[in-house]
Amino acid sequence: MSIDAIYSAFERAAEQPLESAKAWKQTHGTRVVGSFPMHFPGELAHAAGCLPVILQENHEPITVGHGMIYPFYCGFTRSVVDQACKGDYDFLDAIMFGDHCVQVLGAADVVRAKLPNTRVHFYQLISSMSDPWSLGRARETFLNLKEGLEEMIGHPIDEEATHASIRLFNKNRQLLRKLYDLRRAGDARITAKQMQILVKSSMVMDKAAHNDLLGRLLAEIEKTKAISQRGMRVYLSGHFCQSPKIGVLDMIEECGGIVVDDDLYHGQRYISTDVDETGDPLDALAKWYLERNLKVPCPTRVDQNADWENYLLDAMERSRADGMIVLMAKFCEPHMYYYPEIKEAFEKRGVPHLLIETEHELNSFEGLRTRVETFLEVVKRQSAARRIAA
Amino acid sequence: MKNYVMGVDFGSTTTKTVILDLKGKMVAACVASKGSISAEGVQVSMDGALAEAGISRKEILRAVSTGYGRRMIDIADQSYTEITCHARGAVALFPQARLVIDIGGQDSKVIAVGGDGLVSQFAMNDRCAAGTGKFLEALARAVQVPLEEMGPMALAATEKLTISNMCATFAETEVISLLAEGQSKPSVLGAVHAAIASRTVGLVARVGMREPAVMTGGVAKNKAAVQFIEQALGAKLLLPPDPQIAGALGAALFALDEVTTPGAGVDEEDQADDTMLIARGCATKPCQKPKEVPLVGPMR
Repeated sequence: MSIDAIYSAFERAAEQPLESAKAWKQTHGTRVVGSFPMHFPGELAHAAGCLPVILQENHEPITVGHGMIYPFYCGFTRSVVDQACKGDYDFLDAIMFGDHCVQVLGAADVVRAKLPNTRVHFYQLISSMSDPWSLGRARETFLNLKEGLEEMIGHPIDEEATHASIRLFNKNRQLLRKLYDLRRAGDARITAKQMQILVKSSMVMDKAAHNDLLGRLLAEIEKTKAISQRGMRVYLSGHFCQSPKIGVLDMIEECGGIVVDDDLYHGQRYISTDVDETGDPLDALAKWYLERNLKVPCPTRVDQNADWENYLLDAMERSRADGMIVLMAKFCEPHMYYYPEIKEAFEKRGVPHLLIETEHELNSFEGLRTRVETFLEVVKRQSAARRIAA
Repeated sequence: MKNYVMGVDFGSTTTKTVILDLKGKMVAACVASKGSISAEGVQVSMDGALAEAGISRKEILRAVSTGYGRRMIDIADQSYTEITCHARGAVALFPQARLVIDIGGQDSKVIAVGGDGLVSQFAMNDRCAAGTGKFLEALARAVQVPLEEMGPMALAATEKLTISNMCATFAETEVISLLAEGQSKPSVLGAVHAAIASRTVGLVARVGMREPAVMTGGVAKNKAAVQFIEQALGAKLLLPPDPQIAGALGAALFALDEVTTPGAGVDEEDQADDTMLIARGCATKPCQKPKEVPLVGPMR
């Protein structure tokens, strides 16, 4: 398979996740479990013999969903509600969601009301991550989730199957992280769009199939000599539940930015942390849940040891980024609450950054382009001034 | 001989062209309006400036474009955004400037400029054209007053009225309601300009007020808009002789940098790039006081 053919396979799944899952279900006869982002351990659903699929914001205009949810909810929750109202989730065997923000809870209530015949399982995730009881409470939640899955499949989930799923998911994260490493080091040119479809497809495809494709991609990339790119190295931050629009990513790179790293959920945040492959799987998953918040801090969780703004400053230094573009989904309260601290820290350190508020209904694309292009012009001048001063 | 550089600001409603000689003296400026993103407008503006300068296109050594349609101008060797160019133009005219308020046909921007002349921060209207020239145009229609008469009429306002909606369509409904209540046109127009000032104050707040502040863009030619914004900010604004051409002037100055700086135009070389960028960023070479030139095409 050529690199282009491999990317096309990933893109089909990333852009049409429900159709892709439906086709998998028809071919393999497995159950499909939809989950809300961002903390669902897909390993458990996989060990239960299901295909775990993280529900995605789609590109369709929100229509009937308007009658069920307020317009001041984020694009992800409005889109999910709209898809539920339109019957897009009818083929799912179950939907699992946790409580990482008020808007997700509201959306889940509508989804539950709209899908009375679908098993909708709520799991209460502890949000304080560094208390003495945090690990125990997280384990309790995942036990509850496991029991819900077992009730659906009608038999216990085998421990060895869970270990196998953990190994498979770890492998997937490691392969994706390898691609990140190659891009960061300049050994592979992977555009922001390509990286997004690699991670997003991992959220919706069977992991073994995804690993197989990733292996082929890495083999092809290693055969190809990376062409050095000229442009400003950009770090992307933000966007939790929903993936940034491809048009925005392409536009950033068309304007002269080279995205070299990110902390996006459809990026590093999703793949940052592996699960311990030994011992009790529920213990390991609970530990993973707490640890991943230290690897890439999440503003929906509270941890005295996590410091998102300093994490970002360090991450930018590691990736030798010239500037950061913050993509903030409109009405994303956790991000809105935390952003002032990032702004203050970046201004104090003199690190250039640009805030872009995104919406499901993207408007004024040219205005956005002007802002990004100006930001990159400013970054270029500041970088040049620093280099000459040094 | 190629002894001139050109800056073209292809805006959403007008095209502005400035021609400089290689000493940085402005030899021509032309504003043309031929409708939204009009290639014809670009042609009229460039031809007008060339005619004014008494030169042919062959004598242009380098051209830089800016504005909404900056990538659509074939003759441009390089393009920069209107934010970068307005800042450059404003700082060239007023080297002491630390803030640039640019209100054009469709966009409004507030640009903070550092002591080194570099753009340090900026904010731009990112939702709609509220508080821009388009907003004024829409409300001029609602009040049935020619655009150029809006400002003088607003300065004659006797009542202090408020338009709370910043959406042009809803604001138009409010304007109609106020007129239906029997409010005078000058007072209603006063409220329209006060609404623009409120929007501008909001944008300034995102960047942080700094002084001295320069106002550029077509709306800066509207005395009422300037006065209401000055009142709302509590600060006097510096006004270029022709605020509408500041972006084109900035573009022309970038073209001049690229001609006069060693290595200019060799973007592939990092070192050359760096040298050029520093030259571009600094306000070390303000151009001569803009020459008053007759304008071709209707003014906005």
